Amino acid sequence: MISEIDRYAGISSPIHRWDPRFRVVSILALIFSVIFLYNLELVTIGMIFAIILVYISKIPFSFVLSRMKLVFIFVLPFFVIIPFTFMSADTGVEIASFGGITLSYRGTESVEFAAMIVLKALTAVMLIFPMIGTSRMDITIKALEGLHLPNKLVQMFAFTYRYIFVLDDEFTRMDRSLASRGFRKRGNLYTLTTISKAIAMLFVKSYERADRVFYAMRSKGYSGTVATLHEFHARRQDWVNTAVVVGFALLLQVAATSDTFSATRGF
Amino acid sequence: MVHISDGVPLDPWLIMGGWAVTAIILTYALSKMKTEDVPRLSVITAAVFVASLIRIPLGISCAHFILNGFAGVMLGILSFPCIFVALVLQCYLFGHGGATMIGINTVNMGVPALIAYIIFKTGTGYDIRPETKKRASLFGAIAGGFGVVLALLLLAAELVTIGDVFLETTIVVVGAHILIIPIEAIFTGVLVGFIATVEPEMFGKK
Repeated sequence: MISEIDRYAGISSPIHRWDPRFRVVSILALIFSVIFLYNLELVTIGMIFAIILVYISKIPFSFVLSRMKLVFIFVLPFFVIIPFTFMSADTGVEIASFGGITLSYRGTESVEFAAMIVLKALTAVMLIFPMIGTSRMDITIKALEGLHLPNKLVQMFAFTYRYIFVLDDEFTRMDRSLASRGFRKRGNLYTLTTISKAIAMLFVKSYERADRVFYAMRSKGYSGTVATLHEFHARRQDWVNTAVVVGFALLLQVAATSDTFSATRGF
Repeated sequence: MVHISDGVPLDPWLIMGGWAVTAIILTYALSKMKTEDVPRLSVITAAVFVASLIRIPLGISCAHFILNGFAGVMLGILSFPCIFVALVLQCYLFGHGGATMIGINTVNMGVPALIAYIIFKTGTGYDIRPETKKRASLFGAIAGGFGVVLALLLLAAELVTIGDVFLETTIVVVGAHILIIPIEAIFTGVLVGFIATVEPEMFGKK
């Protein structure tokens, strides 16, 4: 089941009041800045800043963490894969060897390297909450239009976002009706072809629906622009927020070029 | 989908290069796209998105579809914006993939999709009727399989540029996806065959 990122868009905080156009650009700049850091201390500072932003935005940490579960599962194996190696026995400390294969440990440096990767991934995901989760999705999409993204792309975001939930429900219904007829998912060819046909049916159904919906929208005057009652007005506070976040992103990059922080990009 | 997640220490030039290639192909594809295409493309994007979340039990682990070959077969060049939109939404809805890697991930999946399209086009010439269903299924399967193979090759090529440290990771990631190749090939074949029987005109509008 897919949960919506904008569940806490209704509450009020300085981040919620920040103009979405400025907010999206500034936080995206910060994400890129953190990703291009190659120093564990600086990445940790970036992470702390991200936590502060989430705190200011008043989005509950339980919500953030529950949605970050998948990322954890994805990045935690790095702690095992990177420090230990089967290949380059000459660079590490030998731990065990069975029949020609040698397991060796690359040293604490490699643990730090893995920690850097994990922290960067978590920081980037965490920053998405203050970036996108603090306004309703339709307003965010209008902000993308305000940033002069190609109109067709903006429309695709809006339509796809809506359809994902529609089709997810639709597929859940199909899944249920398959189950009620005694279908069980197993690792065999029959399961695969059955699921393939169910998905094919989903495509055919949704394809016909798309045309009908589009004609209905056209006849009600849809012209391709995002129409909401919300209007954007940049105030002084928006510029101040932008200056703080973008300034911090730049500061991280400046610090990275100085000699105080060494860079580790592989070793 | 096979993702490179945020934090993987790729060369910044490679990341920016991915964005540049994505921007170029995306601009071209958008210029080929009409406003009337938007809902149809969006619904297929959403269907690809939802279908890629379905898990199929496979021994002790689970597999899920990548579906880039299928997108290429159905949409041609327009599959590129679809994959881009799917990846952006996947990043923001699930935290999959990662915000900075969308460029390179779109290339990894979108370029194989275009090649899958070329394979399918030369194989069937888009002459799809219920009578030519077998041929369509066969080339659908080939295109679907190639979509995954090429995506994995691109991914592996990028990961090994990081150096020795990522050698094991590359092997683990590619190894985990080897079984997806036949699954995806069968899946795409069945899907294309089904659509050829039920609604062949879906192939006509590209």
